[in-house]
Amino acid sequence: MITKEKLKEYAEKLMFDMKEEEYDTLLVEFDVILKQMDLIGQIEGIEQVEPMTFPYEIEHAHFRKDEIKDTLNTSDVLKNASQVECNQVRVPKVVEEA
Amino acid sequence: MSYMDKSIDDLRKALDERKVTSDALFEEATSLAKQYQSLYNSFVTILDEKNETESNSILSGIPYALKDNISTKDILTTSSSNILKNYVPVYNATVYQKLEDAGAVLMGKTVLDELAMGGTGTTGHTGIVKNPWDESRQIGGSSAGSAAAVALGIVPFAIGSDTGDSIRKPAAFGGVVGFKPTYGRVSRYGLFAFASSLDHVGCFARNVKDVAYVTDIIKGEDAHDMTSLPDDHKKYTDTLNNDIKGRKLFYIKEAMEDHENSNDAELKETIHQFFQMIEKIKELGFIVEEVSFPKELLNAIYPTYMAISCAEATSNNANLTGIHFGVRGEGNSIHDIMMDARTKGFSELIKRRFVLGSYILQKENQEKLFKNAQRIRHMIVDKMNTLFQEYDGMLMPASGGIAPHFGEKTDQLSDRYLILENHLVIANFGGFPSITLPSGFVNNMPIAINLTGRQFEDDIVLNMAYKMENITGCKDQIAKGGN
Repeated sequence: MITKEKLKEYAEKLMFDMKEEEYDTLLVEFDVILKQMDLIGQIEGIEQVEPMTFPYEIEHAHFRKDEIKDTLNTSDVLKNASQVECNQVRVPKVVEEA
Repeated sequence: MSYMDKSIDDLRKALDERKVTSDALFEEATSLAKQYQSLYNSFVTILDEKNETESNSILSGIPYALKDNISTKDILTTSSSNILKNYVPVYNATVYQKLEDAGAVLMGKTVLDELAMGGTGTTGHTGIVKNPWDESRQIGGSSAGSAAAVALGIVPFAIGSDTGDSIRKPAAFGGVVGFKPTYGRVSRYGLFAFASSLDHVGCFARNVKDVAYVTDIIKGEDAHDMTSLPDDHKKYTDTLNNDIKGRKLFYIKEAMEDHENSNDAELKETIHQFFQMIEKIKELGFIVEEVSFPKELLNAIYPTYMAISCAEATSNNANLTGIHFGVRGEGNSIHDIMMDARTKGFSELIKRRFVLGSYILQKENQEKLFKNAQRIRHMIVDKMNTLFQEYDGMLMPASGGIAPHFGEKTDQLSDRYLILENHLVIANFGGFPSITLPSGFVNNMPIAINLTGRQFEDDIVLNMAYKMENITGCKDQIAKGGN
């Protein structure tokens, strides 16, 4: 049974919050999709089918040779971080004092 | 004299004969983009400066637009999301690099539905994109701005991405050609991932030959994308020969029947015109037959797509935290900073989709939801591959009607099974090459047909569409708003 509280737990796990009315919309959507998925589960023969994770079998997969390639330099990597110190992304202290 | 409403062949000729310069074309494209921006909002960024590489390619010197979820070094790339509104990539997507190497001239980055998750063109962080044929209507999405820019005659071609129908549906609503090649034909490196097993890069143009020109440039194996296909060593433009003798197509009986009792006049007229088009296509030499497709599989298309795409999207977008890149949140801990960034950075629709995706991926739900969706995907693709043993392509109306008015269609999940609105995603399930071709008008708005072919046979799909284009009367059309 999906409840608003349950949805709030998922949102918390996903690290965002939503407005109350947004959870209401989501509850309706869950009702729709879970009913449809129930029907899907009843399609004849579904249990014998292998789940498909890609559009087709990838037949050309092969091990490539190890090649040394240029990678991004540190200043480029840090260009989009808003807080940087000593070539590191700065964040609040993680380890609390005992 | 305007040039941006011309075909690539015409532009190439004008450039080679020095009737116009690449600088002048760039100036025309960016001026038009600015002129139309307040009304249609196609662009996130219109470039001030032209960057052009020397090349002898057909596209050399010709301006184009890129969807703003494609990485462009040193050029703002937002994916139309607030969380990335300040993001400037430090590397180029392969598709962009290939166009750069071919000398094509980027003139702007186009608006999409936020993170490419949506089909209305209304959820981008810079506002809604309006339909160039009627600004009270949607252009559709998610590649909304790219479709509108081509329809308006701002650029001869634009790049988009397609996870469910995000090139082919807005192409239909905008009266332009939209092509999604076989999965892997064009590298996804540098495309912001939505649902990796369904994501494709493709293009818009105003005729099939132009789509072939662009695809010839952007396709090819890429060491940066392990799912990219080995080069097929074909030049699609050279295989456009109008030889379609004996080509067999099918349409799905159940998709048509479903709407026979509808009161929707636009839907009825769309289907009526589709059957008229079939007769004309038969006169060209095609064989077109009706086939039956299991109704329960057709009804399962949309929930299957939602389950797979939301699950993959939730995982793919977990890197959007505002810490290493993107808009940083406020707070006294990393957790609070990320919570704040993601709460403020994502719109409601995105959050709803992520919660759905997360639920589907929970260990206790995976078997019943995620894996069953993947099993249905397999059944649908198997059915298509069986049909493709006898037929060269599936021909369908691209949509069950014309572009909706704003407010008429939302991205909220519906319990109605709208097969004609959802069937385009079949081509994403199986990675099939699929092209939308404008085919006429209903209530002065464009409608389109869609042709989907066998995996890896992009050349055959393009050639069949090239032949059909002769009788649609919609080749090279510019939207009313662009005239």
